[in-house]
Amino acid sequence: MLDIQNLQVVYGTGRMRVDAVKNVSFHVEPGAAYGLVGESGSGKSTVLRAICGLAPITSGRVSVDGAAVTTPRSKAFYRTVQMVFQDPYASLHPRHTVDRTLSEPLAIHGEKDAEARILQALKEVGLGPSFRFRYPHQLSGGQRQRIAIARALILRPKVLLLDEPTSALDASVQAEILNLLNDLRRRLGLTYILVSHDLAVVAHLCERLLVMQHGEAVEETTADALRSGAASNTYTQSLIQASQGFTRVAPQTARAPAA
Amino acid sequence: MTKPLLDVEDLRVRFHLRTGTVEAVRGVSFQLGRERLGIVGESGSGKSQTGRAILGLTPPPGEVTAKRLAFDGIDLQTVSKRTLRDLRGGRISMVMQDPKYSLNPVMTIGEQIIEAYRAHRKASKAEARDKALAMLEAVKMRDPGRVFSLYPHEVSGGMGQRAMIAMMLVTDPDLLIADEPTSALDVTVSMEVLRILDELVSERGMGLIFISHDLKLVSSFCDRVLVMYAGRVVEELEAKNLREAKHPYTQGLMRCLPTLADDVRPLPTLNRDPAWAL
Repeated sequence: MLDIQNLQVVYGTGRMRVDAVKNVSFHVEPGAAYGLVGESGSGKSTVLRAICGLAPITSGRVSVDGAAVTTPRSKAFYRTVQMVFQDPYASLHPRHTVDRTLSEPLAIHGEKDAEARILQALKEVGLGPSFRFRYPHQLSGGQRQRIAIARALILRPKVLLLDEPTSALDASVQAEILNLLNDLRRRLGLTYILVSHDLAVVAHLCERLLVMQHGEAVEETTADALRSGAASNTYTQSLIQASQGFTRVAPQTARAPAA
Repeated sequence: MTKPLLDVEDLRVRFHLRTGTVEAVRGVSFQLGRERLGIVGESGSGKSQTGRAILGLTPPPGEVTAKRLAFDGIDLQTVSKRTLRDLRGGRISMVMQDPKYSLNPVMTIGEQIIEAYRAHRKASKAEARDKALAMLEAVKMRDPGRVFSLYPHEVSGGMGQRAMIAMMLVTDPDLLIADEPTSALDVTVSMEVLRILDELVSERGMGLIFISHDLKLVSSFCDRVLVMYAGRVVEELEAKNLREAKHPYTQGLMRCLPTLADDVRPLPTLNRDPAWAL
């Protein structure tokens, strides 16, 4: 579905040159969910942005459905690939109603029967028609993220790029959104690329994942390997350990043989 | 039991707004010794307002009332503004969430630590400078001399947060309130910052109030945890007994987190019982 070969993203030149992504390659099958994990500055979001045209592709190849992407991206590309951003407080226009937010992609792509499509999209993300004429400030964080997902889904894309879709949400709301994403993938046969710093979230949603550090791919592994703690790379190990919560140094060494 | 460091009884924080009165904190009581106390809750649960009210930092038009709000025997409600100002930063300090917004952008880190120290202790500039450098070293800055003369925008988030901890601990306070001190940081960096905080707190025998939304983190870091929901403490437990939590809200919060250990699908979601908020 999606193939990335030797992707490189460079900002600036000379002394100001920043290599945000260095030589990253991966391949995602149709219907799969692929995770990108790393700390801030690891380039994981930049990979996502390079795929959808928000960051320049300095060198390398990005192909969707077998065809290399063009710059600028075509309308057909955005029918196939859509993105959901991290912060639902920032990614929805504060002065547009839900109805207007959802009808914009339809208008751009010249889609008919907007009315039915909007009601359908709201239903898919578990919101009733009563939400249609609300403004973002009249919605909770979780409801806003549902609207952002509805906006991405309304053109019936095949690939959804998810950039930290739950990190701005409370734990209980995060669970709801993760369940929704799993459910939508099954029902609509979507392909996901998920960027997150939370290993547990990535392992929950994705089958395979790429660990990134300083713009480079450190290790490609599977969610199952992550769960069994079978990461070969020390950096991945340190991420796994950090995700288990705080450990005091003494009990940590005491606990090591037991684990 | 010895006299508690902090004694809070029936703390209430109200905001009188045009649309009516919002009670953000509704009758919170707890006592704190020289220990690590965690306050956990989701956004809007009143955990941060509790921390701010103790320091008298409730933003206007907020109104704070309590049956008792005493720090080391000093009644914080009746004390003069001047004494409160001496306590704040001197004996009680607060570490905020985001170093980007809480450090002064036009002063170097060193100057800020010196200012914090000289505001509370009689010391010459040279003494304060030594103290600041020692403190930067205590928070594991690799090159204290260089960090001393850097501006906040020149350091990373983790270093900024450590600089803030240095500033807050330079006066050797008895009580430290940390409001989400690591949620703006990466996991591995936040573990580093927590380790430093942990060391300093146990070495100096401080009391610590650790406010966070992260139940897992708090239970692994603190001795005791208060779980807040809609402005009230719904449950208080020993951190190590978190798994035996009784309240359905705490249990729900624990369960709805995806974990690496087991794969539950779909994740159990929280059914909020209106009775919890009563």
